[in-house]
Amino acid sequence: MNATSPTHHTVMRSQLGRARGLGSGHSGTDHWIVERVSAASLLPLSGWFVIQMFRLGGEDYEKVARWGGKPVNATLLAALVATSFYHAEVGLQVIVDDYVHGKAHAPAKLLVKIGTGLLGLLGIFSVLKLALGRTAAKG
Amino acid sequence: MVELKLPRNSTVGKGQFFPAPAGSKNVRTFKIYRWTPDDDSNPVMDTYEIDIDSIGPMVLDALIHIKNDVDPTLTFRRSCREGICGSCAMNIDGENTLACLKPVRDMQGDILINPLPHMPIVKDLVSNLDGAYAQLRSIEPWMKADSAPPPDGERLQSPEERAKLDGMWECILCFCCTTSCPSYWWNGDRYLGPATLLAAYRWIADSRDEHQGDRLDALEDTFKLYACRTIMNCTQTCPKGLNPAKAIGRIKELQVERKL
Repeated sequence: MNATSPTHHTVMRSQLGRARGLGSGHSGTDHWIVERVSAASLLPLSGWFVIQMFRLGGEDYEKVARWGGKPVNATLLAALVATSFYHAEVGLQVIVDDYVHGKAHAPAKLLVKIGTGLLGLLGIFSVLKLALGRTAAKG
Repeated sequence: MVELKLPRNSTVGKGQFFPAPAGSKNVRTFKIYRWTPDDDSNPVMDTYEIDIDSIGPMVLDALIHIKNDVDPTLTFRRSCREGICGSCAMNIDGENTLACLKPVRDMQGDILINPLPHMPIVKDLVSNLDGAYAQLRSIEPWMKADSAPPPDGERLQSPEERAKLDGMWECILCFCCTTSCPSYWWNGDRYLGPATLLAAYRWIADSRDEHQGDRLDALEDTFKLYACRTIMNCTQTCPKGLNPAKAIGRIKELQVERKL
């Protein structure tokens, strides 16, 4: 911002031009809504998950797989995984916006999307495997 | 990318010492940030011992005393000395406030005085606010209405409509809030900052303004508005007791309201 700072190139563009910049990106509200909705959704989903894990603690794979094979449990598990990683993506974007500047900004944001997306997919696939694996193996 | 250390030319050194005159009774120590663009030297903290019984009660009185009687090279902005012009905004004991409203006796120990944080420095306690002023101008802080005003007078507001502007018209644009905001430190080139967003909401909330939608359009941006992380430094530091964080929250509510 400082035109005379020795560490920056001299900028002769007017302050108003710099303040207006590229104008509004017309985005941000959806991100803001999703941040809050996903956080609120994670409260009951996580609560349900913790209770289930206490109930299933120490049980063998067969019992856990039978539990995970029930449609309601599989749906809630998938919803938990999807919401968690969606929330993580939305939250990590904010951290990148705050701390990563310059040329690294856009690639860092993309990396967050790809990373959380892949981890989320892995989670969903694991839920599917747990839910359908037994039936498939039997069939 | 991520800057973890201060740039070399920002490391603050030790400065000069100005002892209190002999016979002083109630001596307090003021440590004041000094930097001049005239040479390549780094900033320093000068130390001034002041007999506060011999001066007025406020930090600004001490600064004026130093400039008049101790060290005429000290540079700072001041004008009204009663909290209405916003000129003497600076960081006193770690908090942005107006030197003219800050009583010396309210503080313990040495009194640290720095310019408003994270802005380019013109000299000593004078920070360069050109960017912040331009951001204020960019939100067009004036009434925009397409209906013609009544031919026989001004545009009228009901008392209830007028009451919606309370807590906003009082802003004196000292930018204590904006320069206290970490999000503004990180992204001050794109984030508008609390003072400018408070001014933006002041016009969005004005019943006489007819461009609410355009104003919300211009603000809907990942940085301009949404870089606010509700850190709340703005509200905590405001020397006028205003609540910029609430105004920003209202803008976000309106953005949601028109989308859902």
